[in-house]
Amino acid sequence: MASTPIAVQQPWSQGRTLRSSFTRWMSYAFSTLAIAFVLALLSLYVWQGFAVWRHEGLGFLFENNWFYRQQHFGALSMVYGTIIVSGFALLLAAPIGIGAGIFSSEFLPLRLRLAVKIIIELLAGIPSVVYGLLGILFLRDWVYGALSPWEPLSGDSLLTAGILLAVMILPTVMTLADDALRGVSSAQRLAARGLGLTQTESIISVCLPQAWRGIVAAILLALGRALGEAIAVFLVVGRQDNQWPANVFSLRPLIESGQTITSKLASSETNIAYGDPLHWAAMISLGLVLLALTAVVTVIANRLVQRASRHDA
Amino acid sequence: MMRNFKHRVFQLATAVCAAVACGILAMIALAIVRRGWPAVSWQFYTEQIRLVGAAGGIFYNLIGTFILIATALIVSAPLAVGIALVHGVYLRGSRHQEKVTFLLYLLNGIPSILFGLFGLIVFVKFFGLGKSWLTGGILLGMLVLPTVTVALCERMTTLPAAYLEAAAGLGLRQSQIVWSVVLPQSLSGLITGSLLGLARAAGETAPIMFTATIFAGATFPHGIKESPVLSLPYHIFILAQDSFDPSVGAKLWGSALTLLALVLFLSLLALPWRLRIHEEARHD
Amino acid sequence: MIESMTPLADATERQKMPTVSAPILETRGLWVFAGKRPLLADVELRIQPRQVFGIIGPSGAGKSTLLKCLNRLVELTPGLRVRGEVLLHGRSAYAPEVDVDALRARIGILFQQPVVFPKSIFQNVIFGLRHLGKVARSEWSVVAERALREASLWHEVKDRLDEPASRLSVGQQQRLCLARTLAVDPEIILMDEPTSALDPKSTESIESLILHLKQNRTVVLVTHNLGQARRVADTIACLTVQDGVGRVVKRGPILAGDFDGPIAAEFIKGRQ
Repeated sequence: MASTPIAVQQPWSQGRTLRSSFTRWMSYAFSTLAIAFVLALLSLYVWQGFAVWRHEGLGFLFENNWFYRQQHFGALSMVYGTIIVSGFALLLAAPIGIGAGIFSSEFLPLRLRLAVKIIIELLAGIPSVVYGLLGILFLRDWVYGALSPWEPLSGDSLLTAGILLAVMILPTVMTLADDALRGVSSAQRLAARGLGLTQTESIISVCLPQAWRGIVAAILLALGRALGEAIAVFLVVGRQDNQWPANVFSLRPLIESGQTITSKLASSETNIAYGDPLHWAAMISLGLVLLALTAVVTVIANRLVQRASRHDA
Repeated sequence: MMRNFKHRVFQLATAVCAAVACGILAMIALAIVRRGWPAVSWQFYTEQIRLVGAAGGIFYNLIGTFILIATALIVSAPLAVGIALVHGVYLRGSRHQEKVTFLLYLLNGIPSILFGLFGLIVFVKFFGLGKSWLTGGILLGMLVLPTVTVALCERMTTLPAAYLEAAAGLGLRQSQIVWSVVLPQSLSGLITGSLLGLARAAGETAPIMFTATIFAGATFPHGIKESPVLSLPYHIFILAQDSFDPSVGAKLWGSALTLLALVLFLSLLALPWRLRIHEEARHD
Repeated sequence: MIESMTPLADATERQKMPTVSAPILETRGLWVFAGKRPLLADVELRIQPRQVFGIIGPSGAGKSTLLKCLNRLVELTPGLRVRGEVLLHGRSAYAPEVDVDALRARIGILFQQPVVFPKSIFQNVIFGLRHLGKVARSEWSVVAERALREASLWHEVKDRLDEPASRLSVGQQQRLCLARTLAVDPEIILMDEPTSALDPKSTESIESLILHLKQNRTVVLVTHNLGQARRVADTIACLTVQDGVGRVVKRGPILAGDFDGPIAAEFIKGRQ
C-alpha cells in the first residue's frame, strides 16, 4: 500500500502558524500521556514491590509458603495456579477456536460469516462478572457432579476456573484466527484449487501455513486475557492458599481448589495488606509478576502480527 | 474417494467447532434471560437497593455505571483521537508508526485488576481521594483507550489517499486537512470505538472495586473526594459470592440480565457503522 | 457455427488435417449469470484436440469468466451461476457425479498474474502433484524435471531448486506456474492472458512454449492481443459485449484478412 505523506511540508521560511502546529502538538501530547501512564504503572509496581524481593529473594517466586501473618511470602502456589488455569483454558479453547475460525473464514459465504462474527464478538463482550456468576451457579455444580467418582471437596477448583476461562477466551481465538485466514490472498486459493486440490487441501497447504503468524498471535492474545482475568477466576477457583500438587504427574491437583495471582489480588487481602509495608510490597509484586507474564505474551503476539502484515503487503 | 472423504470430515469438524462457539452464546443468553426476566420491572429500575439486594431495585447502580462509563468516554475519546492522528497522519508511512500499535497492544494487554491496584495506590491513597467516581472513570478510560483508538485507526487507514492528496493539492495546511477531511471522515470510527469502549467499560469490575464503587449507601456523587458510586457489575460480584439468600436470586439474575443487555445494546449499536466501514474497506 | 476447415493463411507451413474428429472440449448454450443479470449469453464453442484455441475480445467481455467455466473454477466466485453444458470428451463436466478436483487436474489453468506459493521452486512444481497421489514420492523429482523442461525453465533453475520461488523474475515465475500445471499432466491447459504482465522477451518465450505444448496437449488461450492470437492460435472465437452481455460474435480460423476485417471491427467497437 502506497503511503503518501499527507501534505508537502512547508519550508520554515514560510513559517508555521501556531494553529497549524497545535493539532499536531496536542496529538503528540496525548500519545505521550498514554505512554507515561504505562510507564508510571510499570514503575509503580517495581518501586512499591521492591521490599519483598529483598526479604524473600527469588523465594518469592519459587517457594510455596504464603503466610502473611508470619511474614512469609512464597507465591509459588499462585504462580502455579495461574499457569495451570490459563494453560488448561488454552488447551480447550485453542483447537475449538481455530476450528471455528477456519469454518467461518473458509466455508461460510460472506453474509453468514459476518453474522457469525457478530455473534462471536458479542460473546467476547460478556462481562467477566456474568461469566463468574454462571460459573458459580452452573459450572460449579456440574463439575462437582461430573467428578464425583474422584470425590472432590467442592466444585470450586482449578479445573472449574480453567473451563470457565476457556469459554471466555474462545471467542477471542476464533475471531482473530478468522481474521488471520482472511488475510491470505484469494489468488493463492484459486491457484491451488485450479491444480485440483480439494478445498480442505487448499486450506491446509496454502491458507494455514500463510496465516500461522496471525493464528499464533490469536492464541497468545487469548492466553494474555486468560492470565489477567481476575473476577471470574476469583469466584470459582476456591481461593485456597499454598496448594501444591503432591504428585506433579497426576490430574488430581486439578480438581482441588487453588489460588491464582489474580484471585489473590481480587480478594480482601489486598485491603488488609495496606497496613503492613512488607505485605503490601508482596501483593504489589504479585501484580508485577502478572504484568511480566502478560507483557511477554503480548509483546510476542504484537511482533507476530506486525511480521504478518509485512508479509501481506 | 479418500481425498473427498477427508475434505468432508474436516469440514464437519470445523463446523462442529463453530456450532459449539455459537451454541455457548445461545445457552448463556437463554440461561440469563430465563432467570433474570422475572425480576425485570419498572420498580426494579427506579428503586434503590434494600435489604442487601433482596428487595428494591438497582436504580443507583445504573446511575453509577452510567457516570463511570460517561467519564471513561470523556477521558478516552480525546486521547484516542490524538493517538489515532499520530498513527494515521503524522507518522503515516514512517517506521515509527508501528510503535503506536505496539503501545496500544501493550496497554490492552495489561490485566484490568492491575489498573485497579494502580488506582488504589495513586488516587485512593497517595492523592487521598478515597473512593471516587472520578478515579473509576479515569481508570476505565485508560483501560478502554485501545478499544476506542483501534476502531478509529482502522477507519483512518481506509481513507483513500486520494482525498488527502486532493486536499493538499488545493493548498490546505496539514492541520486544516486533519480538521476538515480526516476527522469528519473518520467519525464513524470514533462512534464505533466509543460504543465498544462504553460496552467494555460498563462490564468491568476489577478496576473499580478498590477505587470507585461500594455495595450500598451511595446515591449521587457529591464532589470528587470520597465520592463513590454504586455500580452494576460490583453489585453482581458481591451478591454472587458466598451462599446467597434465595430471595436475592431473581434480583441477582435481573441485575445480570440488565448488565448483559446494556453491554449487548451498546455493542450492537455500533454495528451499522462497523458494517459501513467494512463495506468501504472492501470497495477501496 | 463455422467449422474450422481452411488452413492458416499466414506464413508457417503447417499442414492442418481437416478436423473431423470430435472436439475435446465443447460448450453448448452456455450462459453465466451474476444474480439475475447475464454476463455471458449462449456461448457455443468447439475446441479440437492438440490445437491452440484463442478467445479474443476487449476487456470486460467475460473472457476470463468463460475460461473459468471450462474447469469449473467459476464456481468458486460467489454469486455466479452457470447454465448450459460444458462437455469434456463428450461428457458433461457439470454432472453431479463428476469429481471436480479430478476435473481440474485434467484441465490446468494459468493466470494472468503468476501465483507462486511462498515455498521453494521444487515445492512449487510438485505442489499439485503431491496431492494427486498418483505418483510415488520417489518419482517426484523426475516428474518435476520433466515439467520444468517442458516449461523451458529447467536450465535456469536446476541448480537452485531449493531456493524460494519468489526470487524468480516475473517471466520465470509464470513459467514455473506452467511447470507446476504440467507436472499434473493435464490434457488441456487454459491460459488467461498469460503474458499481459510480462516483458516482450518473456512473452516471446511463453508464446513459443505454447506452440510446443500443442503437440501433446490442447491449449485454450485468452488474449486481448490480436498479434499474439495471430502468432499462436489455430482457431479463434471473438467475444464482445452486446447489450451488456458477452457473446461470441465470430469464430473460426484466423485468416490474413481478419486484421482489417470483421474481427478487428468488432474489437474496435467493443473497445469504446
